[in-house]
Amino acid sequence: MKILCSTLLTFIALAGYAQTKITGKVVDERGAGIPLANVILVDTYDGTSSDTEGNFEFTTTETGTKILLVKFVGYKDSQREVVLQGKSVTVTVQLEEMINELEAVMITAGAFAASDESRRTVFKAIDIATTAGATADIAGALNTLPGTQKVGESGRLFVRGGDGTEAKTFIDGLLVLDAYSPSAPNTPSRGRFLPFMFKGTSFSTGGYSAEYGQALSSALALDSKDKAEMTRTDIGILSVGGDITHTQAWKRGSIIGKIQYTNIRPYFGLINQEIDWEKPPVSIEGSGAFRQQVGKDGMLKVYGNFNHANYSIYQHSIDDYNSKFLYDLTNNYRYLNGFYKEALNDNWIVRGGVSYTYQENDAMVGDDNIVETEKGVHAKTVFEGSLSDKVELKTGAELIQRTYNQQFTFDDGSNLTRAFDEVIAAGFAEADIYTSNKFVTRAGARFEYNNLMDQLSVDPRISLAYKTGTSSQVSFAYGKFRQTAKNELVRINTTLDPEKAEHFILNYQRIENNRTFRVETYYKKYEDLVKYVNDDASVLNNAGNGYAKGIELFWRDNRSLRNTDYWISYSFLDTKRNYLNYPYKAAPTFASKHNFSAVYKYFVQAINSQLGFTYSYTSGRPYNNPNTGKFNNGETPVYSDLSFNWSYLPKPYLIVYLSCTNLLGRDNIFGYEYSTEQNANGIYNSRPVRQAAPRFLFLGIFITLSKDKSVNQLPSL
Amino acid sequence: MKTLNIIPVLIAVVIILLSNAVFANDDKYTQAMQKNIQAVYTAQSIPDYQTAVNAFERIGAAEKTKWEPFYYASFGYIMMSNQEKDGAKKDAYLDQATTALSKAKEIVPNESEVIALEGFIYMIRVSVDPASRGQQFAGLSMQVLNKAVEINPNNPRALALLAQMQYGTAQFFGSSTAEACATTNNAMEKFTTFKSENPLAPQWGKQMAEGMKGKCK
Repeated sequence: MKILCSTLLTFIALAGYAQTKITGKVVDERGAGIPLANVILVDTYDGTSSDTEGNFEFTTTETGTKILLVKFVGYKDSQREVVLQGKSVTVTVQLEEMINELEAVMITAGAFAASDESRRTVFKAIDIATTAGATADIAGALNTLPGTQKVGESGRLFVRGGDGTEAKTFIDGLLVLDAYSPSAPNTPSRGRFLPFMFKGTSFSTGGYSAEYGQALSSALALDSKDKAEMTRTDIGILSVGGDITHTQAWKRGSIIGKIQYTNIRPYFGLINQEIDWEKPPVSIEGSGAFRQQVGKDGMLKVYGNFNHANYSIYQHSIDDYNSKFLYDLTNNYRYLNGFYKEALNDNWIVRGGVSYTYQENDAMVGDDNIVETEKGVHAKTVFEGSLSDKVELKTGAELIQRTYNQQFTFDDGSNLTRAFDEVIAAGFAEADIYTSNKFVTRAGARFEYNNLMDQLSVDPRISLAYKTGTSSQVSFAYGKFRQTAKNELVRINTTLDPEKAEHFILNYQRIENNRTFRVETYYKKYEDLVKYVNDDASVLNNAGNGYAKGIELFWRDNRSLRNTDYWISYSFLDTKRNYLNYPYKAAPTFASKHNFSAVYKYFVQAINSQLGFTYSYTSGRPYNNPNTGKFNNGETPVYSDLSFNWSYLPKPYLIVYLSCTNLLGRDNIFGYEYSTEQNANGIYNSRPVRQAAPRFLFLGIFITLSKDKSVNQLPSL
Repeated sequence: MKTLNIIPVLIAVVIILLSNAVFANDDKYTQAMQKNIQAVYTAQSIPDYQTAVNAFERIGAAEKTKWEPFYYASFGYIMMSNQEKDGAKKDAYLDQATTALSKAKEIVPNESEVIALEGFIYMIRVSVDPASRGQQFAGLSMQVLNKAVEINPNNPRALALLAQMQYGTAQFFGSSTAEACATTNNAMEKFTTFKSENPLAPQWGKQMAEGMKGKCK
């Protein structure tokens, strides 16, 4: 009986609890062990984690054919069948590396990406708002990065020997025709779009994606924010006006409306200005943004703004200050952008939209009236997805239509109209091919048809990036770029060829522990630049050309010093071009050889404040002195500026913001204007182009009203 | 005698086998979970946590309808993120924590513990880059933790985390920490009084509240 009993028990035990030992090793593609991989016997609790060498061992009481699944972050899952019948099973599992955002090499040649979402960016969206001297202007902040040349009297982005029109702005991939507010001659203009609207900024100083066309030197791609999370009202009381914003958020959408009034009159009354204003600038601006999530992954964004601005100034003759005429400008601007994004399936997304820009400059020059209008529509559809985990493809089509009209009505009643219509149809395709997490090739091309010169073109773009270490990489970019000549040239000769540039860029970047080091060198070749034939501004051809080359350094560190973040940029530029009225190749007046910026931000916990300083230095710029025989041979004094800002948060819902440019009050001279005629002594009289005011002082108080009082406007500053 | 003796043994065996067949899954589940919950509470290093998290992921994959394995896997990843120094890796662990937690959320959309853990994830997100994330994630964390307290005002972990956020905000603005300390006291009280019927209910967080209590004195 005893025997029977124990036999029975043994039998039961065997039937129910037969054990199989499974051993093995988890390795990567090079055969090295992967520790802590999860080894799973599917649909059971059984399994284990691999040890430091990648070995594993466990036993299971399961029987029959089961699936053994092995997974580890950064690798593709691997599964196989195992037969469990009491005999030991030994397996070697090789995991294939996945191309993932965290580990994979990035193409960085020419690119400065700023995003709060991506982790390896050099520049964050909030940096734009908190850079001293920029006063929350996107271009102002980007001007502290390498690759830009400070042109103090313009305020626009001048990139690598290119002029201010060679850098184009895109919002959600859609073109903005004129991204800057109008400004009086020789006073800096500000961007029309405030940094707080965007969650990501990608600033490229060359070699950019085939997606972006009609930009010779630079593409600034801004990604607007998704749905707002909280209902709130923001009020800004500024030394130069005020604004009020209301945000209404619901579960799957939000709407934001903002109205802003800017009046610099009181400010100009307080501080002596260089400019003889009749009416200093006044503007009223409104904007609205609507967001709605559609379905599971769809997102609809509509953004629109309007702006009405006016000012008038007296322009004095260089030869005789008392001889003056009035220049009065009224600018009307409307921009509408509709964007839609949807996931087609797990691998593919489609995004696209339509933007519309309308701009009208109505100027009185003395008694003559000049009305310039430009209307533009940009429609675009892009498909993005993966062909495999190693190949990503982006392809799309777009249409850009512009109507330009300039109407002169002269004092004597005569008039003149100059106009053109441009239609560009373009398509592009670009593939990112990862050989491993270490090496990527991006190859693409852009096709364009332009009706003005009835021309079809193909521009290749290629970039390579190789990871040289865990935190360092080298990348190279090459591309051909084209851009229709400036409006003021095309309106004279509508069959001008587009101007062209070729970029070659080599970049090394190292990001480690919140420290970034970057060095980049480039060569840029300009062709088909517009040239005056026989120095006659009314006869144009494409005989101009030029080059730009240089080397740039960037260092950022927000780790070494407590509560401190700083970056330093240096750009060396050597550029010459022969275009417009240039008698021979010469450095253009907007090009400076050396540009240096240092930005310093310090957080003072004790007074709830962030203090910031920005120092900028620009070596002398060329100017043309007709009293000498050589063209553009003069050199201005160097430009230097030390700016300061202070953000103070006394209460969670209140921010006080104070900023001042040019603390040291340096009298910066941007160039010289010369009289068109010689005086009695045979000399052309000159006048320096100076800053509108030595300093710009700005004070703002920002109040946020919301259910949750812990919210403030810091990111919007 | 001998034949008589075998009968109770047989009956016992049958009962054990039967009860195993009926209750095995739950018992096995609870036991396996308890063992690994112990492991995740006592883990010292990232490999310790990863080992425990792997076990939770195995159990979660087999069970599919239980939220606890995903909850603890997420908790383990949060702890790993806490130990990691490199910002990008911290974020990667938090991504894993979020993925695991979203599975728990699908099973129990209104569990205060799960929502509190979501608030915890946002809280750590802030710590990766306070300057540029403070605004967005501190707000989100507060919002989510308040919701967790709303669902279960007795959840001591939701209260302790909320107290932490309140304290941080008050300190940042140099305002009074009274509200944060009141929440801390409430959390401390709930740590002793709140008892869940679920044997696998989370138990962690008392030390955090005690630490806060120390600051409040």
